[in-house]
Amino acid sequence: MSNERAGSKSSQKKQGIYYGWYVIAALFFATFLAIGSRQGFGVFVKTWEQDWQISTATVSIAASVGWLVNGVSQPFVGRMTDVYGGRRVVVISLMVMAIATIGVSYVTNIYGLIALYGFVISFASGGISPATTGVIVARWFEKKRGMAMAVLIAGGSVGGLIVVPFLSYVLIEFSWQTAYWLVGGLALALGVPLLLVVVRSGPEDMGLKIDGEDSSGISDSEIVVKSVGPMFVEKWRDSLGSKPIWQLSIAYFVCGITTASISVHFVRWAISEDISTGTAALAFGVLSGINAAGVLVIGLLSDRWQRKNLLGAVYLVRGIAFISLIVLPGSSAIWAFAVIGGMSWLATVPLTASLTADVYGVRNLGTLFGFANMAHQLGGAAAVMLFGWAFTVWGSYDVPFAIGALTLLVAGIVSLSIREKRVSVRYSQVTPVPDGAAVDSGSGGVGTSSQGGA
Amino acid sequence: MARLFLPLGHHSEPIDPDLWEWLSTKMNHVLGIDSGAMVLLLGAVIVLFPVVVMVLVWRRR
Repeated sequence: MSNERAGSKSSQKKQGIYYGWYVIAALFFATFLAIGSRQGFGVFVKTWEQDWQISTATVSIAASVGWLVNGVSQPFVGRMTDVYGGRRVVVISLMVMAIATIGVSYVTNIYGLIALYGFVISFASGGISPATTGVIVARWFEKKRGMAMAVLIAGGSVGGLIVVPFLSYVLIEFSWQTAYWLVGGLALALGVPLLLVVVRSGPEDMGLKIDGEDSSGISDSEIVVKSVGPMFVEKWRDSLGSKPIWQLSIAYFVCGITTASISVHFVRWAISEDISTGTAALAFGVLSGINAAGVLVIGLLSDRWQRKNLLGAVYLVRGIAFISLIVLPGSSAIWAFAVIGGMSWLATVPLTASLTADVYGVRNLGTLFGFANMAHQLGGAAAVMLFGWAFTVWGSYDVPFAIGALTLLVAGIVSLSIREKRVSVRYSQVTPVPDGAAVDSGSGGVGTSSQGGA
Repeated sequence: MARLFLPLGHHSEPIDPDLWEWLSTKMNHVLGIDSGAMVLLLGAVIVLFPVVVMVLVWRRR
Protein backbone atom coordinates (compact mmCIF):
# COMPACT_ATOMS: atom_id res chain seq x y z
CA MET A 1 0.00 0.00 0.00
CA SER A 2 1.31 3.40 -0.80
CA ASN A 3 1.47 5.83 2.01
CA GLU A 4 1.62 9.25 0.56
CA ARG A 5 1.35 10.08 -3.04
CA ALA A 6 0.29 12.83 -5.27
CA GLY A 7 -2.91 12.83 -7.18
CA SER A 8 -0.94 11.94 -10.23
CA LYS A 9 1.99 9.59 -10.46
CA SER A 10 4.95 10.75 -8.47
CA SER A 11 8.54 9.80 -8.66
CA GLN A 12 9.59 6.96 -6.41
CA LYS A 13 13.26 7.66 -6.83
CA LYS A 14 15.28 6.51 -3.84
CA GLN A 15 18.05 8.62 -2.41
CA GLY A 16 20.42 6.10 -0.87
CA ILE A 17 19.46 4.32 2.30
CA TYR A 18 16.20 5.66 3.72
CA TYR A 19 16.94 7.69 6.87
CA GLY A 20 14.41 5.62 8.80
CA TRP A 21 16.88 2.73 8.81
CA TYR A 22 19.44 4.91 10.64
CA VAL A 23 16.74 5.68 13.18
CA ILE A 24 16.18 1.93 13.53
CA ALA A 25 19.93 1.43 14.05
CA ALA A 26 20.02 4.03 16.84
CA LEU A 27 16.92 2.61 18.54
CA PHE A 28 18.40 -0.86 18.08
CA PHE A 29 21.44 0.24 20.12
CA ALA A 30 19.28 1.81 22.85
CA THR A 31 17.17 -1.36 23.04
CA PHE A 32 20.33 -3.43 23.03
CA LEU A 33 21.67 -1.55 26.08
CA ALA A 34 18.35 -1.41 27.92
CA ILE A 35 17.49 -5.07 27.52
CA GLY A 36 21.06 -6.19 27.98
CA SER A 37 21.42 -4.35 31.25
CA ARG A 38 18.05 -5.61 32.54
CA GLN A 39 18.88 -9.20 31.63
CA GLY A 40 22.31 -8.75 33.15
CA PHE A 41 20.71 -8.56 36.59
CA GLY A 42 20.73 -12.37 36.73
CA VAL A 43 24.51 -12.45 36.34
CA PHE A 44 25.02 -10.67 39.66
CA VAL A 45 22.47 -12.46 41.85
CA LYS A 46 24.94 -14.87 43.41
CA THR A 47 27.55 -12.16 43.95
CA TRP A 48 25.05 -9.97 45.77
CA GLU A 49 23.97 -12.92 47.89
CA GLN A 50 27.56 -13.39 49.02
CA ASP A 51 28.47 -9.71 49.35
CA TRP A 52 25.38 -8.69 51.24
CA GLN A 53 24.70 -12.00 53.02
CA ILE A 54 21.14 -12.22 51.75
CA SER A 55 19.03 -14.95 50.16
CA THR A 56 18.04 -15.40 46.53
CA ALA A 57 14.48 -14.64 47.61
CA THR A 58 15.54 -11.24 48.91
CA VAL A 59 17.42 -10.35 45.72
CA SER A 60 14.41 -11.54 43.76
CA ILE A 61 12.27 -8.84 45.35
CA ALA A 62 14.17 -6.26 43.28
CA ALA A 63 13.57 -8.32 40.11
CA SER A 64 9.87 -8.85 40.81
CA VAL A 65 9.31 -5.19 41.68
CA GLY A 66 11.17 -4.30 38.50
CA TRP A 67 8.99 -6.60 36.42
CA LEU A 68 5.77 -5.05 37.67
CA VAL A 69 7.04 -1.46 37.55
CA ASN A 70 8.22 -2.03 33.98
CA GLY A 71 4.77 -3.32 33.04
CA VAL A 72 2.89 -0.50 34.74
CA SER A 73 5.21 2.13 33.24
CA GLN A 74 4.32 1.21 29.66
CA PRO A 75 1.01 3.07 29.29
CA PHE A 76 2.54 6.15 30.92
CA VAL A 77 5.62 6.30 28.71
CA GLY A 78 3.44 5.38 25.75
CA ARG A 79 1.18 8.35 26.51
CA MET A 80 4.22 10.61 26.89
CA THR A 81 5.37 9.44 23.47
CA ASP A 82 2.02 10.28 21.92
CA VAL A 83 1.99 13.73 23.52
CA TYR A 84 5.65 14.84 23.43
CA GLY A 85 7.10 12.72 20.63
CA GLY A 86 9.17 9.58 20.75
CA ARG A 87 12.57 11.27 20.53
CA ARG A 88 12.24 13.13 23.83
CA VAL A 89 10.95 10.07 25.63
CA VAL A 90 13.67 7.67 24.48
CA VAL A 91 16.45 10.20 25.11
CA ILE A 92 15.26 11.06 28.62
CA SER A 93 14.52 7.41 29.42
CA LEU A 94 17.99 6.26 28.37
CA MET A 95 19.60 9.15 30.25
CA VAL A 96 17.71 8.31 33.46
CA MET A 97 18.43 4.61 32.99
CA ALA A 98 22.13 5.30 32.46
CA ILE A 99 22.47 7.52 35.56
CA ALA A 100 20.54 5.02 37.69
CA THR A 101 22.69 2.18 36.35
CA ILE A 102 25.83 4.04 37.39
CA GLY A 103 24.08 4.64 40.71
CA VAL A 104 23.68 0.88 41.23
CA SER A 105 27.46 0.57 41.34
CA TYR A 106 27.41 2.61 44.57
CA VAL A 107 24.64 0.59 46.20
CA THR A 108 25.60 -1.27 49.35
CA ASN A 109 22.41 -3.07 50.28
CA ILE A 110 19.23 -4.59 48.86
CA TYR A 111 17.15 -1.50 49.58
CA GLY A 112 19.28 0.58 47.26
CA LEU A 113 18.98 -2.12 44.61
CA ILE A 114 15.20 -2.24 44.95
CA ALA A 115 15.00 1.55 44.69
CA LEU A 116 17.32 1.93 41.71
CA TYR A 117 16.77 -1.30 39.76
CA GLY A 118 13.24 -2.16 40.86
CA PHE A 119 11.82 1.32 40.39
CA VAL A 120 14.04 3.78 38.51
CA ILE A 121 15.76 1.55 35.93
CA SER A 122 12.68 -0.59 35.34
CA PHE A 123 10.44 2.45 34.85
CA ALA A 124 12.97 4.18 32.60
CA SER A 125 13.55 1.06 30.52
CA GLY A 126 9.80 1.11 29.83
CA GLY A 127 10.63 4.24 27.83
CA ILE A 128 12.88 2.20 25.56
CA SER A 129 10.32 -0.52 24.97
CA PRO A 130 8.13 -1.25 21.93
CA ALA A 131 5.51 1.10 23.42
CA THR A 132 7.82 4.00 22.56
CA THR A 133 10.31 2.74 20.00
CA GLY A 134 7.47 1.05 18.13
CA VAL A 135 5.70 4.40 17.80
CA ILE A 136 8.78 6.00 16.26
CA VAL A 137 9.16 3.08 13.85
CA ALA A 138 5.48 3.24 12.91
CA ARG A 139 5.85 6.93 12.06
CA TRP A 140 8.88 6.30 9.85
CA PHE A 141 7.63 3.16 8.14
CA GLU A 142 4.35 1.99 6.73
CA LYS A 143 5.04 -0.31 3.79
CA LYS A 144 7.86 -2.08 5.63
CA ARG A 145 6.51 -1.49 9.12
CA GLY A 146 6.53 -5.17 10.03
CA MET A 147 10.11 -5.72 8.93
CA ALA A 148 11.34 -2.52 10.58
CA MET A 149 9.68 -3.50 13.88
CA ALA A 150 11.15 -6.99 13.61
CA VAL A 151 14.69 -5.65 13.12
CA LEU A 152 14.27 -3.46 16.18
CA ILE A 153 12.90 -6.29 18.30
CA ALA A 154 15.78 -8.51 17.22
CA GLY A 155 18.03 -5.86 18.79
CA GLY A 156 16.84 -7.04 22.17
CA SER A 157 17.98 -10.58 21.43
CA VAL A 158 21.36 -9.36 20.24
CA GLY A 159 21.66 -7.21 23.34
CA GLY A 160 21.16 -10.24 25.52
CA LEU A 161 23.77 -12.16 23.56
CA ILE A 162 26.44 -9.45 23.79
CA VAL A 163 25.79 -7.29 26.85
CA VAL A 164 25.12 -10.17 29.26
CA PRO A 165 28.44 -11.95 28.48
CA PHE A 166 30.20 -8.56 28.59
CA LEU A 167 28.85 -7.92 32.08
CA SER A 168 29.81 -11.41 33.13
CA TYR A 169 33.41 -11.04 31.97
CA VAL A 170 33.70 -7.60 33.59
CA LEU A 171 32.46 -9.20 36.81
CA ILE A 172 35.16 -11.87 36.56
CA GLU A 173 37.94 -9.46 35.62
CA PHE A 174 36.96 -6.52 37.83
CA SER A 175 33.82 -6.32 39.98
CA TRP A 176 30.05 -6.03 39.71
CA GLN A 177 30.36 -2.32 40.54
CA THR A 178 32.65 -1.81 37.54
CA ALA A 179 30.21 -3.72 35.32
CA TYR A 180 27.30 -1.44 36.24
CA TRP A 181 29.48 1.65 35.97
CA LEU A 182 30.62 0.64 32.49
CA VAL A 183 27.13 -0.12 31.14
CA GLY A 184 25.73 3.11 32.57
CA GLY A 185 28.73 5.04 31.25
CA LEU A 186 28.40 3.52 27.78
CA ALA A 187 24.71 4.39 27.68
CA LEU A 188 25.43 7.96 28.78
CA ALA A 189 28.50 8.53 26.61
CA LEU A 190 27.38 6.70 23.46
CA GLY A 191 23.70 5.78 23.62
CA VAL A 192 22.30 9.20 24.54
CA PRO A 193 24.39 11.15 21.98
CA LEU A 194 23.49 8.58 19.31
CA LEU A 195 19.78 9.04 19.99
CA LEU A 196 20.15 12.84 20.05
CA VAL A 197 22.05 12.94 16.78
CA VAL A 198 20.14 10.32 14.83
CA VAL A 199 16.59 9.87 16.09
CA ARG A 200 13.73 12.09 15.05
CA SER A 201 10.15 11.38 16.10
CA GLY A 202 8.96 11.19 12.52
CA PRO A 203 10.12 11.78 8.94
CA GLU A 204 8.37 15.16 8.80
CA ASP A 205 10.91 16.43 11.37
CA MET A 206 13.54 16.11 8.65
CA GLY A 207 11.39 17.16 5.76
CA LEU A 208 11.11 13.57 4.60
CA LYS A 209 8.16 11.40 3.66
CA ILE A 210 7.14 8.20 5.34
CA ASP A 211 8.87 5.14 3.79
CA GLY A 212 11.28 7.51 2.04
CA GLU A 213 8.94 8.27 -0.79
CA ASP A 214 10.24 11.03 -2.98
CA SER A 215 7.94 13.97 -3.44
CA SER A 216 10.27 15.89 -5.73
CA GLY A 217 8.04 15.23 -8.72
CA ILE A 218 4.96 16.65 -7.09
CA SER A 219 3.87 20.02 -8.35
CA ASP A 220 2.36 22.69 -6.14
CA SER A 221 -1.01 22.18 -7.71
CA GLU A 222 -1.12 18.53 -6.83
CA ILE A 223 -2.85 17.59 -3.64
CA VAL A 224 -1.10 15.23 -1.30
CA VAL A 225 -3.42 13.20 0.83
CA LYS A 226 -2.94 11.07 3.89
CA SER A 227 -4.83 7.86 4.29
CA VAL A 228 -7.14 7.45 7.20
CA GLY A 229 -8.17 4.03 8.38
CA PRO A 230 -11.80 3.35 9.22
CA MET A 231 -11.02 3.03 12.93
CA PHE A 232 -8.47 5.79 13.39
CA VAL A 233 -9.24 7.66 16.59
CA GLU A 234 -8.63 11.18 17.84
CA LYS A 235 -8.62 10.13 21.50
CA TRP A 236 -7.24 6.82 22.67
CA ARG A 237 -10.30 6.21 24.86
CA ASP A 238 -12.44 6.10 21.74
CA SER A 239 -10.69 2.91 20.67
CA LEU A 240 -11.87 1.06 23.80
CA GLY A 241 -15.34 0.77 22.34
CA SER A 242 -14.07 -1.21 19.36
CA LYS A 243 -13.24 -4.90 19.13
CA PRO A 244 -9.70 -5.00 17.69
CA ILE A 245 -7.99 -3.39 20.69
CA TRP A 246 -9.52 -6.02 22.96
CA GLN A 247 -8.73 -8.85 20.55
CA LEU A 248 -5.10 -7.73 20.34
CA SER A 249 -4.78 -7.13 24.09
CA ILE A 250 -6.35 -10.47 25.07
CA ALA A 251 -4.01 -12.30 22.73
CA TYR A 252 -1.01 -10.33 24.00
CA PHE A 253 -2.03 -11.10 27.58
CA VAL A 254 -1.79 -14.79 26.63
CA CYS A 255 1.60 -14.08 25.08
CA GLY A 256 2.74 -12.80 28.47
CA ILE A 257 1.30 -15.82 30.26
CA THR A 258 3.00 -18.35 28.02
CA THR A 259 6.41 -16.73 27.56
CA ALA A 260 6.97 -15.65 31.17
CA SER A 261 5.91 -19.03 32.53
CA ILE A 262 8.25 -20.89 30.20
CA SER A 263 11.10 -18.45 30.87
CA VAL A 264 10.92 -19.21 34.57
CA HIS A 265 9.77 -22.81 34.66
CA PHE A 266 11.58 -24.32 31.68
CA VAL A 267 14.62 -25.43 33.67
CA ARG A 268 12.52 -26.66 36.57
CA TRP A 269 10.36 -28.65 34.17
CA ALA A 270 13.52 -30.11 32.56
CA ILE A 271 14.85 -31.15 35.96
CA SER A 272 11.48 -32.74 36.80
CA GLU A 273 11.88 -34.79 33.59
CA ASP A 274 15.43 -35.85 34.56
CA ILE A 275 16.97 -33.58 31.95
CA SER A 276 20.17 -31.81 32.98
CA THR A 277 20.37 -28.06 33.49
CA GLY A 278 23.00 -27.99 30.74
CA THR A 279 20.71 -29.60 28.17
CA ALA A 280 17.90 -27.25 29.20
CA ALA A 281 20.23 -24.29 28.79
CA LEU A 282 21.33 -25.50 25.37
CA ALA A 283 17.72 -26.05 24.30
CA PHE A 284 16.84 -22.55 25.46
CA GLY A 285 19.81 -21.26 23.48
CA VAL A 286 18.49 -23.04 20.36
CA LEU A 287 15.09 -21.50 21.05
CA SER A 288 16.66 -18.03 21.24
CA GLY A 289 18.58 -18.52 17.99
CA ILE A 290 15.53 -19.72 16.07
CA ASN A 291 13.58 -16.92 17.69
CA ALA A 292 15.90 -14.21 16.31
CA ALA A 293 15.65 -15.65 12.80
CA GLY A 294 11.92 -16.30 13.17
CA VAL A 295 11.06 -12.74 14.12
CA LEU A 296 12.83 -11.40 11.01
CA VAL A 297 11.05 -13.88 8.72
CA ILE A 298 7.69 -13.04 10.28
CA GLY A 299 8.47 -9.34 9.94
CA LEU A 300 9.20 -9.79 6.26
CA LEU A 301 6.05 -11.82 5.65
CA SER A 302 3.88 -9.43 7.64
CA ASP A 303 4.51 -6.69 5.10
CA ARG A 304 3.05 -8.94 2.40
CA TRP A 305 0.32 -10.96 4.08
CA GLN A 306 -2.48 -10.16 6.47
CA ARG A 307 -0.86 -9.65 9.85
CA LYS A 308 -3.73 -11.16 11.81
CA ASN A 309 -3.27 -14.47 9.99
CA LEU A 310 0.40 -14.56 10.92
CA LEU A 311 -0.40 -13.52 14.49
CA GLY A 312 -3.02 -16.27 14.81
CA ALA A 313 -0.61 -18.80 13.31
CA VAL A 314 2.14 -17.76 15.72
CA TYR A 315 -0.12 -18.36 18.74
CA LEU A 316 -1.34 -21.70 17.39
CA VAL A 317 2.23 -22.83 16.65
CA ARG A 318 3.21 -21.90 20.19
CA GLY A 319 0.21 -23.90 21.39
CA ILE A 320 1.56 -26.94 19.54
CA ALA A 321 4.89 -26.39 21.29
CA PHE A 322 3.11 -26.46 24.66
CA ILE A 323 1.25 -29.63 23.72
CA SER A 324 4.55 -31.25 22.75
CA LEU A 325 5.74 -30.72 26.32
CA ILE A 326 2.81 -32.80 27.56
CA VAL A 327 2.56 -35.60 25.00
CA LEU A 328 6.19 -36.26 24.07
CA PRO A 329 8.77 -37.91 26.31
CA GLY A 330 10.88 -35.29 28.10
CA SER A 331 14.05 -35.86 26.07
CA SER A 332 12.19 -35.29 22.77
CA ALA A 333 9.81 -32.68 24.11
CA ILE A 334 12.59 -30.30 25.09
CA TRP A 335 13.94 -30.13 21.53
CA ALA A 336 10.49 -30.07 19.95
CA PHE A 337 9.65 -27.11 22.16
CA ALA A 338 12.93 -25.35 21.39
CA VAL A 339 12.36 -25.59 17.63
CA ILE A 340 8.59 -25.06 17.46
CA GLY A 341 8.44 -22.57 20.31
CA GLY A 342 11.44 -20.66 18.96
CA MET A 343 9.58 -19.86 15.76
CA SER A 344 6.90 -18.05 17.70
CA TRP A 345 8.74 -16.56 20.66
CA LEU A 346 9.19 -12.89 19.79
CA ALA A 347 7.16 -12.71 16.60
CA THR A 348 4.07 -11.51 18.45
CA VAL A 349 5.68 -8.16 19.28
CA PRO A 350 6.12 -6.64 15.79
CA LEU A 351 2.83 -8.16 14.64
CA THR A 352 0.81 -6.75 17.54
CA ALA A 353 2.48 -3.33 17.37
CA SER A 354 2.06 -3.11 13.59
CA LEU A 355 -1.56 -4.22 13.69
CA THR A 356 -2.38 -1.71 16.41
CA ALA A 357 -0.84 1.04 14.27
CA ASP A 358 -2.66 -0.17 11.15
CA VAL A 359 -6.03 -0.21 12.86
CA TYR A 360 -5.92 2.88 15.08
CA GLY A 361 -3.21 4.98 13.46
CA VAL A 362 -0.07 6.20 15.16
CA ARG A 363 -1.50 9.20 16.99
CA ASN A 364 -2.36 7.14 20.08
CA LEU A 365 -0.21 4.11 19.38
CA GLY A 366 2.06 4.63 22.38
CA THR A 367 -0.83 4.65 24.83
CA LEU A 368 -2.68 1.75 23.22
CA PHE A 369 0.34 -0.50 22.78
CA GLY A 370 1.48 0.55 26.26
CA PHE A 371 -1.71 -0.91 27.70
CA ALA A 372 -1.19 -4.09 25.69
CA ASN A 373 2.36 -4.31 27.04
CA MET A 374 1.13 -3.82 30.58
CA ALA A 375 -1.37 -6.66 30.07
CA HIS A 376 1.50 -8.78 28.76
CA GLN A 377 3.68 -8.13 31.82
CA LEU A 378 0.90 -8.55 34.38
CA GLY A 379 -0.30 -11.75 32.68
CA GLY A 380 3.26 -13.04 32.81
CA ALA A 381 3.68 -12.19 36.50
CA ALA A 382 0.45 -13.95 37.41
CA ALA A 383 1.22 -17.01 35.30
CA VAL A 384 4.69 -17.46 36.75
CA MET A 385 3.22 -17.68 40.24
CA LEU A 386 0.29 -19.90 39.21
CA PHE A 387 2.55 -22.33 37.32
CA GLY A 388 4.75 -22.58 40.41
CA TRP A 389 1.74 -23.16 42.63
CA ALA A 390 0.36 -25.82 40.27
CA PHE A 391 3.68 -27.68 40.22
CA THR A 392 3.80 -27.62 44.01
CA VAL A 393 0.26 -29.01 44.24
CA TRP A 394 0.36 -31.64 41.47
CA GLY A 395 4.08 -32.34 41.23
CA SER A 396 3.87 -32.00 37.47
CA TYR A 397 3.64 -29.28 34.88
CA ASP A 398 1.11 -31.15 32.72
CA VAL A 399 -1.91 -29.20 33.98
CA PRO A 400 -0.35 -25.73 33.68
CA PHE A 401 1.07 -26.59 30.24
CA ALA A 402 -2.37 -27.81 29.13
CA ILE A 403 -3.88 -24.53 30.37
CA GLY A 404 -1.14 -22.69 28.48
CA ALA A 405 -2.00 -24.58 25.28
CA LEU A 406 -5.69 -23.83 25.78
CA THR A 407 -5.08 -20.11 26.26
CA LEU A 408 -2.92 -20.10 23.13
CA LEU A 409 -5.73 -21.75 21.18
CA VAL A 410 -8.03 -18.96 22.37
CA ALA A 411 -5.41 -16.32 21.46
CA GLY A 412 -5.02 -17.87 18.00
CA ILE A 413 -8.75 -17.89 17.34
CA VAL A 414 -9.20 -14.37 18.71
CA SER A 415 -6.36 -13.09 16.51
CA LEU A 416 -7.72 -14.81 13.42
CA SER A 417 -11.14 -13.31 14.10
CA ILE A 418 -9.81 -9.75 13.63
CA ARG A 419 -11.40 -8.41 10.45
CA GLU A 420 -8.18 -6.88 9.19
CA LYS A 421 -9.39 -6.09 5.68
CA ARG A 422 -12.22 -4.01 7.15
CA VAL A 423 -10.35 -2.24 9.91
CA SER A 424 -6.74 -1.87 8.78
CA VAL A 425 -5.53 1.14 6.86
CA ARG A 426 -3.52 -1.26 4.71
CA TYR A 427 -6.70 -2.52 3.11
CA SER A 428 -9.36 0.04 3.75
CA GLN A 429 -9.29 3.81 3.86
CA VAL A 430 -11.95 6.38 4.42
CA THR A 431 -12.15 9.98 3.22
CA PRO A 432 -8.70 11.19 2.33
CA VAL A 433 -7.44 14.22 4.18
CA PRO A 434 -5.33 16.85 2.43
CA ASP A 435 -1.79 17.04 3.71
CA GLY A 436 -1.48 19.72 6.35
CA ALA A 437 -4.88 18.90 7.75
CA ALA A 438 -3.82 15.43 8.64
CA VAL A 439 -5.90 13.51 11.06
CA ASP A 440 -3.00 11.29 11.86
CA SER A 441 0.47 12.48 11.24
CA GLY A 442 2.62 9.72 10.05
CA SER A 443 -0.08 7.26 9.32
CA GLY A 444 0.32 8.40 6.00
CA GLY A 445 -1.00 7.72 2.86
CA VAL A 446 -2.89 7.19 -0.01
CA GLY A 447 -5.75 6.12 -1.37
CA THR A 448 -9.34 6.77 -1.21
CA SER A 449 -10.77 3.36 -1.42
CA SER A 450 -10.22 -0.12 -0.25
CA GLN A 451 -7.26 -1.95 -1.55
CA GLY A 452 -6.80 -5.60 -1.86
CA GLY A 453 -3.99 -7.39 -0.30
CA ALA A 454 -2.65 -10.72 0.45
CA MET B 1 9.09 -18.77 45.44
CA ALA B 2 12.32 -16.91 45.00
CA ARG B 3 13.06 -18.31 41.55
CA LEU B 4 9.62 -17.39 40.34
CA PHE B 5 10.88 -13.89 39.75
CA LEU B 6 14.01 -14.59 37.78
CA PRO B 7 12.80 -15.28 34.27
CA LEU B 8 15.11 -15.64 31.29
CA GLY B 9 14.41 -13.10 28.68
CA HIS B 10 11.39 -12.97 26.50
CA HIS B 11 11.46 -9.22 26.19
CA SER B 12 13.67 -7.81 28.86
CA GLU B 13 13.61 -9.95 31.97
CA PRO B 14 16.64 -10.91 34.01
CA ILE B 15 18.54 -13.96 32.81
CA ASP B 16 18.33 -17.07 35.00
CA PRO B 17 21.53 -17.16 37.10
CA ASP B 18 21.83 -20.97 37.00
CA LEU B 19 21.54 -21.05 33.22
CA TRP B 20 24.02 -18.23 32.91
CA GLU B 21 26.56 -19.94 35.15
CA TRP B 22 26.38 -23.07 32.99
CA LEU B 23 26.55 -21.09 29.74
CA SER B 24 29.53 -18.98 30.83
CA THR B 25 31.44 -22.08 31.91
CA LYS B 26 30.77 -23.65 28.51
CA MET B 27 31.76 -20.48 26.69
CA ASN B 28 35.04 -20.29 28.58
CA HIS B 29 35.69 -23.95 27.82
CA VAL B 30 34.89 -23.65 24.11
CA LEU B 31 36.47 -20.25 23.40
CA GLY B 32 39.41 -20.55 25.73
CA ILE B 33 39.91 -16.78 25.75
CA ASP B 34 40.72 -15.14 29.05
CA SER B 35 38.15 -12.82 30.54
CA GLY B 36 40.25 -9.68 30.04
CA ALA B 37 40.41 -10.28 26.29
CA MET B 38 36.69 -10.98 26.17
CA VAL B 39 36.00 -7.67 27.96
CA LEU B 40 38.02 -5.87 25.28
CA LEU B 41 36.46 -7.82 22.40
CA LEU B 42 32.85 -7.40 23.48
CA GLY B 43 33.50 -3.84 24.64
CA ALA B 44 34.88 -3.00 21.20
CA VAL B 45 31.73 -4.39 19.55
CA ILE B 46 29.53 -2.33 21.86
CA VAL B 47 31.53 0.87 21.27
CA LEU B 48 31.97 0.45 17.52
CA PHE B 49 28.29 0.02 16.66
CA PRO B 50 27.12 3.53 17.66
CA VAL B 51 30.32 5.11 16.32
CA VAL B 52 29.77 3.52 12.90
CA VAL B 53 26.11 4.59 12.85
CA MET B 54 27.04 8.18 13.76
CA VAL B 55 29.73 8.30 11.06
CA LEU B 56 27.28 7.01 8.45
CA VAL B 57 24.69 9.60 9.47
CA TRP B 58 27.24 12.45 9.37
CA ARG B 59 28.39 11.36 5.91
CA ARG B 60 24.79 11.18 4.71
CA ARG B 61 24.13 14.74 5.90
